[in-house]
Amino acid sequence: MAYTEEELKKELETQEYAYGFVTDIEADTFPKGLNENIVRAISERKEEPNWMTEWRLSAYRAWEKMEEPNWANVKYTKPDFQKISYYSAPKSKDKYESLDEVDPELLKTFDKLGISIDEQKKLAGVAVDIVVDSVSVATTFKKTLSEKGIIFCSISEAIREHPELVKKYIGTVIPPKDNFYSALNSAVFSDGSFCYIPKGVKCPMELSTYFRINQAGTGQFERTLVIADKESYVSYLEGCTAPSRDENQLHAAVVELIALDDAEIKYSTVQNWFPGNKNGKGGVYNFVTKRGICHKNSKISWTQVETGSAVTWKYPSCILKGDNSIGEFYSIAVTNNYQQADTGTKMIHIGKNTKSTIISKGISAGKSQNSYRGLVQVNSKAENARNFSQCDSLLMGNKCGAHTFPYIEAKNNSAMVEHEASTSKIGEDQIFYCNQRGIDTEKAIALIVNGFSKEVLNKLPMEFAVEAQKLLEISLEGSVG
Amino acid sequence: MQLSEKLISSFLAFELDTDINSPIHGIRTNAIKKFEELGFPSRKLENWKYTSLNRVIKEDYTVFSKKKNVLDFKNVKDYFIDNIESYKIVIVDGFFDPFLSQTSHDGLDICIMSAALNKPKYSKIIKKYFNKTANSEDSLTSLNTAFSKEGAYIHVPKNTVLEKPVEIIHFATGNEAALMLQPRNLVVVEENSEVEIIESHQSLTDNPVFTNSVTEIFSEKNSKIDYYKIQNDVVTSSLIDNTYISQKRDSDVKVHTFSFGGKLIRNNLNFFQNDEAINSTMKGVTIIDYDQFVDHHTLVHHANPNCESHQDYKGIYSGKSTGVFNGKIIVDKIAQKTNAFQQNNNILLDDKSTINSKPQLEIFADDVKCSHGCTIGQLDQDALFYLRARGIPKKEAKALLTYAFANNVLESVKIPELKYKVKKIIAKKLGVSLGFDL
Amino acid sequence: MLSIDNLHVSVEGKSILNGINLDVKAGEVHAIMGPNGSGKSTLSSAIAGNESYEIDNGNILFKGENIVELAPEERAHRGIFLSFQYPIEIPGITVTNFIKTSINSNLKARGEKEMSASVMLKKIREKAELLDIDSKFLSRSLNEGFSGGEKKRNEIFQMAMLEPSLSILDETDSGLDIDALKIVANGVNKLKNKNNAVIVITHYQRLLDYIIPDYVHVLHDGKIVKSGDKQLAHELEEKGYDWIK
Repeated sequence: MAYTEEELKKELETQEYAYGFVTDIEADTFPKGLNENIVRAISERKEEPNWMTEWRLSAYRAWEKMEEPNWANVKYTKPDFQKISYYSAPKSKDKYESLDEVDPELLKTFDKLGISIDEQKKLAGVAVDIVVDSVSVATTFKKTLSEKGIIFCSISEAIREHPELVKKYIGTVIPPKDNFYSALNSAVFSDGSFCYIPKGVKCPMELSTYFRINQAGTGQFERTLVIADKESYVSYLEGCTAPSRDENQLHAAVVELIALDDAEIKYSTVQNWFPGNKNGKGGVYNFVTKRGICHKNSKISWTQVETGSAVTWKYPSCILKGDNSIGEFYSIAVTNNYQQADTGTKMIHIGKNTKSTIISKGISAGKSQNSYRGLVQVNSKAENARNFSQCDSLLMGNKCGAHTFPYIEAKNNSAMVEHEASTSKIGEDQIFYCNQRGIDTEKAIALIVNGFSKEVLNKLPMEFAVEAQKLLEISLEGSVG
Repeated sequence: MQLSEKLISSFLAFELDTDINSPIHGIRTNAIKKFEELGFPSRKLENWKYTSLNRVIKEDYTVFSKKKNVLDFKNVKDYFIDNIESYKIVIVDGFFDPFLSQTSHDGLDICIMSAALNKPKYSKIIKKYFNKTANSEDSLTSLNTAFSKEGAYIHVPKNTVLEKPVEIIHFATGNEAALMLQPRNLVVVEENSEVEIIESHQSLTDNPVFTNSVTEIFSEKNSKIDYYKIQNDVVTSSLIDNTYISQKRDSDVKVHTFSFGGKLIRNNLNFFQNDEAINSTMKGVTIIDYDQFVDHHTLVHHANPNCESHQDYKGIYSGKSTGVFNGKIIVDKIAQKTNAFQQNNNILLDDKSTINSKPQLEIFADDVKCSHGCTIGQLDQDALFYLRARGIPKKEAKALLTYAFANNVLESVKIPELKYKVKKIIAKKLGVSLGFDL
Repeated sequence: MLSIDNLHVSVEGKSILNGINLDVKAGEVHAIMGPNGSGKSTLSSAIAGNESYEIDNGNILFKGENIVELAPEERAHRGIFLSFQYPIEIPGITVTNFIKTSINSNLKARGEKEMSASVMLKKIREKAELLDIDSKFLSRSLNEGFSGGEKKRNEIFQMAMLEPSLSILDETDSGLDIDALKIVANGVNKLKNKNNAVIVITHYQRLLDYIIPDYVHVLHDGKIVKSGDKQLAHELEEKGYDWIK
């Protein structure tokens, strides 16, 4: 790694970070419960075309017949789907033309989230789409992007403005009937982000979406669709927060990525949904389906830092359909107190000369359970497929658990698959060494955990990496006896 | 009639025929109920995700053979280890063969299960150990328990080191058009004692044979057991080997499984560490071809501190063969300072061969060293080139490298004659013929 | 600055130090020599506060304060630096990040403001130059895959950055070739002034050719059996440790 002074400087700078507030914004919320009429009402409220309404309804009908999965290594009270409100939007008239029109309360929220939109505009050049309680409220930087032909807007807007693109791609990577939660999402998603990068365009800035569940008793079901046309490139960031609440809130998102020939998509997530309090009360159920398809010579790279949620169930995957395509998955999952995470990836090798890399770092503290679950599948036509997987677990204390469930299936004799996993704890000698240099034990642990997670943190864009590091530290606070 | 129905409906006749007053009558009855409830495992179960028994259980097996067959030693000599003194327990079509066997009651008991179950002098041991470590929630184990009647019974009292190994061989002679066998073995090794056991299953014709075997092994304080399984049967025989090992303090148990032949082989190898300072080792070499299928399921349950486990499985798959490795390590909260190591390496030689591997760790203690690794790949091209540059033809060079890949698992085999025999089988399987001694 | 009074230390119930008395004043360099197993490293660990070392009796006064009950980081905050005989590897943490965390923790503990990035950068550059450290080295993981010499140089680099009042160099010369030894010694000498003190723990005399001690103490069986000036080190070198037994 080359080390410029600029990078050195950045590394030496620190940033502050704080969460856990409720924003007082008037919201337009549907009555609780789910039936065909609610699905229709959502579609109507969003002024969707008929085909979209029908698409939702068929997903709803399929969902009705499905059962909630229970194979994951997590225990929780199943949500009562009739006690959730499926639509909640910050009350306001129409779509904002510029940021000036946005409710000042909302802008304050963004400030608290650490995303000062103005500043980002000027300094980082990040275009941000913000989704509060599933409705997209502001998309910055639209103009700059549209000059390049990039479409970056809410999915509702995309359904209205670019129906041909949405119709062509939505549900192609994750069919509505793929699983229980993807079916639910397909029926009731109220908003999300849409992104299209035209042929040959390298998106000049990071695109970013912030998700926040604000209203009590609501679920968040956002839907993201990213299409990178031939030879294009995009880096996409996603951040999530929720206020501290006693009850469990449900988040069931669907993210579909499509990388056409020679395209590259980098998708980074920092997930910090409310994890519940110290006694395991409250917190978000995060049941997310994320999958991307790679066409010829394309690449999809998932990076995730998972520190939040009471229960996480999430497997960002790559279907390596095209020859020479590449899939990557870099993950840090931290669980503390009573959190449970069952996360990992699937790499499905179909095309020739396809490559995948999986680096997973699990850190368990408190009374939490942290599982890695992954599938590497090499199909019989996938000549020269290559996979390297590494799953490391760090245990802190003796009341938590770390689990590794890799599935490796190879049907081609030219495949090379390597999987390694290890479990360790923080060495007392490491802590003493830090102590001797004046670093207290809590800080020393944060430092060592950071080092343990470095390979993944390095994959995040710089602005995100600093935030992620801070988050790791906050998540593990009080985990030292 | 389906095999499961046939088995359930034969149970009463079996009990009447065997001994309705047997001390294990209650255990058998509960076991058949369990099997009736669960049936044969299907692929819907996570533990059977990659393995279907359908092609095995579809045959119309005779579930207990009535005919006793006599074998001539010179015709089956090759299946024994050459040039070695050993105790022998030979079972033919489910019946003990006293002529080929060499049992002992000289300060220890190396004999047969039917005797142990029927004679009062064994009742104390049977009561203490029989069906105590086998999983009574498992359908195939329960099925075996229900029909348990014959097999090997080995009891080594305190401070006894056996000077020669025990060979257990199950023959199927083809008397029946299709035969199902359910051998049940019990091995109890008391404090400070040592034993080596070699077990194999051999069908002598192409008539289908389906063996569902259960072996319970108890390794008491500071005892040592080396258990070798040679699975080199004909392509019409299938084997489900359920082995349960319960270990006490300072004991050391090693199980080597050599899977070279058969239609379908499933090994369920389970280790329970019931005290501290225990060492458990599992090693395996699998070399198969055609449409053969070998599945290794291992479980090591670390339930106490300061124990170790080592697993090393190598697989070489040709033709349309399929291999499965599913290794599970559980480390309980109190099992601090556990050192658990698991390695599974595979080579696919043909484009129709498949490997499914699932190495799992479930860890609840923080001060442990646990690792697993799994690789799927080909032979090292640089090494291949090196050998060829030294004048070794490609085919031989490949065979030699494959042989080398499997060979290091054999280093821990302690009986030289057995090692030689296994090496010979491997060399033959891989078509290696070299001028030097293997 | 440092005053050790009748110090008894044991490890896992085995007593190693049996009554050490030592006085180190600001501006002084003390060398502690002794054969293997004499308790040299135990002494340094006890001063730094390694909790595996049980203080059975005696006191350690640092700048007039009894530090026996203090945590290792609290001792560090007060200005004690130990250059480890075997520096610990921490994968994934760069040397830069580590030193930054260390400096700011120390400043914070003393109620001072954190060092700004630019000041720190300047200081890193300056001290790296002093110890002939390549900037590439700063971006490597702490001690991971470092050679013996690199590890020791990194220790002295940290010492330079932290500017402690008392530095204890535990066998800093072991594993160093003569060139590296000169660089390390040169670094130590440049950092030395009338306000700080250095304790050099070594088996051999050769480091003392470059870091000239004011006092030399010989440790044997957990006691200081002989003290003198630098001449004593030469005598030891000639006659061997058997001479003092």
